Amino acid sequence: MIIAQQKSIQDIASMIEDCNKVLLVGCAGCVTVCLAGGEKETEVLAASLRIKRRLENKPLETVTFVATRQCDPEYIETLESYVKDVDAVISLACGVGVQYVAERFSDKWVVPALNTNFIGGSLNHGEWEERCGLCGDCVLHRTGGICPIIRCSKSILNGPCGGSQYGKCEISKDMDCAWQLIYDRMKALGKLDKLMEYQPPKDWSKSRDGGPRRAVREDVMID
Amino acid sequence: MSSGKVGAVMVVGAGIAGIQASLDLAESGYYVYLVEQSPAIGGAMPMLDKTFPTNDCSMCILSPKLVQCGRHLNIETLTNSVVSEVEGEPGNFKVSIQQKARYVDPDKCTGCGSCAEECPVKVDDEFNQGLGKRKAIYKSYAQAYPNAYAIDPSKCLKMKKAKACGKCLEVCQADAIDHEMQDETIDIEVGSVILCPGFEKFDPTDLEYYGYGKFPNVVTSLEFERILSASGPYGGHLQRPYDGKEPLKVAWIQCVGSRNCKIENGYCSSVCCMYAIKEAVIAKEHSKNDLDTSIFFMDMRTYGKDFEKYYDRAREEQGVNFIRSRIFKISEVDEESKDLTIRYADEKGQLHNEEFDMVVLSVGLEPAPSVIELGKKLGLELNQFGFAETEPMTGVNSSKEGIYVAGAFGGPKDIPETVLSASAAAGASASLLGDVRGTMIKEVEFPPEKDVSEEDPRIGVFVCHCGVNIGSTVNVPGVVETAKDLPNVAYAGEYLYVCSQDSQASIREAIEEHRLNRVVVASCSPRTHKPLFQETMREAGLNPYLFEMANIRDQCSWVHMNEPEKATEKAKDLVKMVVAKAALLEPVKQMSVQVTPKVLVIGGGVTGMSNAISLAEQGYSVHIIEKSDQLGGNALRIKQGFKGEDVQAFVADLINKVESSDNIEVSTGTGVSEASGYVGNFKTTLTNGDIVEHGVTVVAIGGQEYKPTEYLYNEHDAVFTQLELEEAIAANDPKVTQAKNIVLIQCVGSRDAERPYCSRVCCNKSVKLALHLKEINPDVNVFVLYRDVRTYGFYEENYRQARQKGVIFVRYNAEDKPRVEAAGNSLQVTVTDHVLGEPIVIETDAVGLAAAILAPEDNEQMNRMFKVPLNADGFFLEAHMKLRPVDTAADGVFIAGLAHGPKSMEENVAQAKAAAGRALTILSKDSLESSGVVAVVQPDKCAACLTCVRLCPFSAPRINNYAAEIEAVLCQGCGSCAGECPNKAITLQSYKDVMLMNMVDSLYKEVR
Amino acid sequence: MRLQYASTVRIIEMPCTGTIDHRVLLKTFEDGADGVFVAGCMEGDCHFLKGNIRAKKRVNMVKNILEEIGFGGDRLDFFNLSAAQGQRFAEIVTEMTDRIRELGPTPLNQKEGDTA
Repeated sequence: MIIAQQKSIQDIASMIEDCNKVLLVGCAGCVTVCLAGGEKETEVLAASLRIKRRLENKPLETVTFVATRQCDPEYIETLESYVKDVDAVISLACGVGVQYVAERFSDKWVVPALNTNFIGGSLNHGEWEERCGLCGDCVLHRTGGICPIIRCSKSILNGPCGGSQYGKCEISKDMDCAWQLIYDRMKALGKLDKLMEYQPPKDWSKSRDGGPRRAVREDVMID
Repeated sequence: MSSGKVGAVMVVGAGIAGIQASLDLAESGYYVYLVEQSPAIGGAMPMLDKTFPTNDCSMCILSPKLVQCGRHLNIETLTNSVVSEVEGEPGNFKVSIQQKARYVDPDKCTGCGSCAEECPVKVDDEFNQGLGKRKAIYKSYAQAYPNAYAIDPSKCLKMKKAKACGKCLEVCQADAIDHEMQDETIDIEVGSVILCPGFEKFDPTDLEYYGYGKFPNVVTSLEFERILSASGPYGGHLQRPYDGKEPLKVAWIQCVGSRNCKIENGYCSSVCCMYAIKEAVIAKEHSKNDLDTSIFFMDMRTYGKDFEKYYDRAREEQGVNFIRSRIFKISEVDEESKDLTIRYADEKGQLHNEEFDMVVLSVGLEPAPSVIELGKKLGLELNQFGFAETEPMTGVNSSKEGIYVAGAFGGPKDIPETVLSASAAAGASASLLGDVRGTMIKEVEFPPEKDVSEEDPRIGVFVCHCGVNIGSTVNVPGVVETAKDLPNVAYAGEYLYVCSQDSQASIREAIEEHRLNRVVVASCSPRTHKPLFQETMREAGLNPYLFEMANIRDQCSWVHMNEPEKATEKAKDLVKMVVAKAALLEPVKQMSVQVTPKVLVIGGGVTGMSNAISLAEQGYSVHIIEKSDQLGGNALRIKQGFKGEDVQAFVADLINKVESSDNIEVSTGTGVSEASGYVGNFKTTLTNGDIVEHGVTVVAIGGQEYKPTEYLYNEHDAVFTQLELEEAIAANDPKVTQAKNIVLIQCVGSRDAERPYCSRVCCNKSVKLALHLKEINPDVNVFVLYRDVRTYGFYEENYRQARQKGVIFVRYNAEDKPRVEAAGNSLQVTVTDHVLGEPIVIETDAVGLAAAILAPEDNEQMNRMFKVPLNADGFFLEAHMKLRPVDTAADGVFIAGLAHGPKSMEENVAQAKAAAGRALTILSKDSLESSGVVAVVQPDKCAACLTCVRLCPFSAPRINNYAAEIEAVLCQGCGSCAGECPNKAITLQSYKDVMLMNMVDSLYKEVR
Repeated sequence: MRLQYASTVRIIEMPCTGTIDHRVLLKTFEDGADGVFVAGCMEGDCHFLKGNIRAKKRVNMVKNILEEIGFGGDRLDFFNLSAAQGQRFAEIVTEMTDRIRELGPTPLNQKEGDTA
């Protein structure tokens, strides 16, 4: 899932300084699961902003709504009636959601409440780790299910660098060397020979090569 | 009743044992008469401040049980009562009970306390150990049940001279006091009797060298509990009784009245070491200064679960001093300071005189004379100290069939063992009375519930004067007027005592007349009174959760007595808030699940078999699975019990009972491969492919013997573990039976950094083995190398005998362990003697090692499958260290035996029966109901984020169909998941955020 | 024990402090409370095992928010005490009322309000 964290209330408040009424839109997708933008956080943020503005003698009116997802146009549509009479929209979604809201309501001031951090999973409750580099050309089948692009500090694709010591990365002794992990796992699987196979240069054109990427599946398209 | 048996049980003594036994039986379909000598139930626990080893507040953990027991429909509590006669036979006893006049009608008394305020007579308060005062009309303690006062006839002025007083009569508006009340005889019939009359603390007055009664700053440990207690005479402020000065240096003297053959109290009282450490630790917490604490002891007996760690922490982290010495004498430093001098010799024989501000005597536990008398009256066999003698390997059977013993009457016990024995006695009673279960119980019929879901809220507000308790401070008519103007309020009225019987009728009438669909009572504490009013709701055909209370007494009139106007304002606010909440209340339906009346017992050792037999005797179908290919477990290797029992005959008898029972199925060579389900409905797949559906799971998978890596074990063939040594004796191995010298080394693998716990049984075992060796060959020299001899309870007698027979006990330090070296066929052991301080060398023919008891090897597998947590040492963790010793955090899964922690075989049997007693509270029901309010999920809002699943300690939520689902029967209603849910998909019934926010809104409406 | 304490306190009962939601705490201040405290069981004594620990974390989180937005985190606090510690409760009320008195009435209201 997408992992995001809330910006400081100070920062969010400064984005809507001159507004009298705002709509806060939560998202029931990833950001609810990573405890950053569900109904609870949306209402807590709304109350916090209201109190802050009352202290500044510029009372703020808030409306809150939680969209099923903010990354599909239909769900954004459901906001329409709320958006009409507010001065701004605060989106508690990932960067995608904020943009979808901004695109749909092009005449509204739309601001983000979260910083979108990475794609990852939870280690413990309340602790998440990045696991995917979104490179567009997955190599996990060659690396024992361990992604060198995101888990190696240098994103090296062909084995460890000289900084790997005792299984740890040179940047921190708390960080495992991804290539050590890959080697250990492949060894345990009896597939070390796979690591010896010749690999052509990785096709980075599928990664961030300028401009947004687009994925198309003709088979599931409706029209 | 074809068998002629009676489906009722008499429980004598209403301490924690009596309460637990009563609750277990009443919850399993038996009617209970709970007979208590004093005016209130609770026993000794309410007097204690904290409890070891968790430092839980004693009153806090007991209080819910008091309420549950007091209000139970099938528990009839007879206070001020003693048993005068018991006749008949097992299954059918006729009992005569003498009930002393209370002089206050507990049905009328509301516990308001006005009488005691007015009573002019002050007497020493026995609840506070005489450190404070109470009145002649009194209630022992605030949370007491019955919540009613009683008159002490020996102190009441009016009882002595009718015209001398009568102040209480004037002030009691409930008309509950009757100075003319007479004693009564109550005759009952019961099928069995459970005796749990508890203990009396040893009175140290006659032991002059302690100065108790002479020096005011020498107190007993129970007095010290009251000094520490927040509800005690000094409000929890640590001070000396003499001058109120805060002590800076306090000593505890152990074994006062215990382990003392001169006064014929040769036994160990078992609990004093732990309570002394606890008191020292808590006293340090209470002290504003750096309190100096010293404990004078002979052997530190911290043998229970997690006790050793508590001792380690006290010594190493909290700085409690431990001085190994039996002191000579306590004297007073001088008349003025009343400080104290303790004269003692240290281990090296050096004499010391050390001064202290205060000395606490760790007094032992004795049976009360009245208890000994009762035992004799019933013809029970008592031991030399007056405690009840229990039948071998039963834990709870007295010498008379049908009469069971629980708690300290069977021997000194701490709280968990007391609770455990109570559940075991309940289980044993139920085994005897299996065929008459459910024949005596009462059930209440309520009218069908009205559907009010379509109606707008119509709230009735009932405001209580509580005699003068509320009315004299709060302007009750004013509160009623305010209530009438509140939104949704259809009726408001005032009542002298809203909890009285006639008021209940008025409430029902008002509900009818004003078509009320919500009720608010503004009176006292919901803790004591909510269940009563909820019952009235049900009688009126309303869901009991459409009810709410405002506490305008404890939280208002009582605490703002001198500010009547402000108190009235506050009372109005509290009512306003509760009315705002009430408007949003919704009915709560109790969810129920069917119960599969079958038990899966995992482990076919003594514990598992004892448990299975107990449940099978009650008619339940039991499936035992045993990993090895035969029943018997560790016990197969043990020859003799601590009381000399023939263990092999006992095990053979158990196996025979199991194999011949129609209700027990056994699968040996079988384990568990998969488990699912929850209380009432488990579904377990065995390794043989069979699927068992069962309502209860009992985990009794035993423990393992530590295989030593030290002391030449496995390297020299004359080095044995205890179990091997016993086997060698039985096999007449000449290395042992013809030995001239034998050394037994204690604490091998126990009480060290890797396993910081005591294995509990090894001291007793070594003493018993030493005696056995002496019996075989009186000339053999047996040396026991120990750290502390932990022959707790009556096992102290074995220790005494061993010394008498010439067994030599040498203490060693953990830092300087004995050394074992090979010397050809024989061995050489070097140990530093604790008196000489010099190494001594023992040439020996054999060495016996008291190897630790380890957690079972399958503990982690069981932990994963049945969600029973493990403690740091790998043993299963009970649901509550004090009060739920065989229950686990996973409802319906019980633990017993070594898997729970090291224990003797007899203790394992008792625990097995306790697990049976507890299991019965589930098995005896056709269906289980959720208890009270539970958390509810709105699935369309749920993001399946797992927060609730990860958070819930009771494993109630799980994800199903991409959303969380909360099993109502497992939910305890704490609302932690509701508070945490990121999309607010979970709400707690009756405590929804909107309700709480509405309360806040109503409070500040005018302000804004 | 009937210990006297400040009459400016209003109490909301809940089965376990674990129930308390951040939103409810913020609501009390928005509505006009000068100060709020949550009283949970002693640590390790929670009848529901961990509710009090969850509650304390939530209270601390809201304290941080209140601090960040300039309202002041000191107006909110969490206390551990047991049901048998009536005296401690009175002490906490005194401590909290003294603290609030020093801080003055809620900055959100001109009119003097109560504490909850």
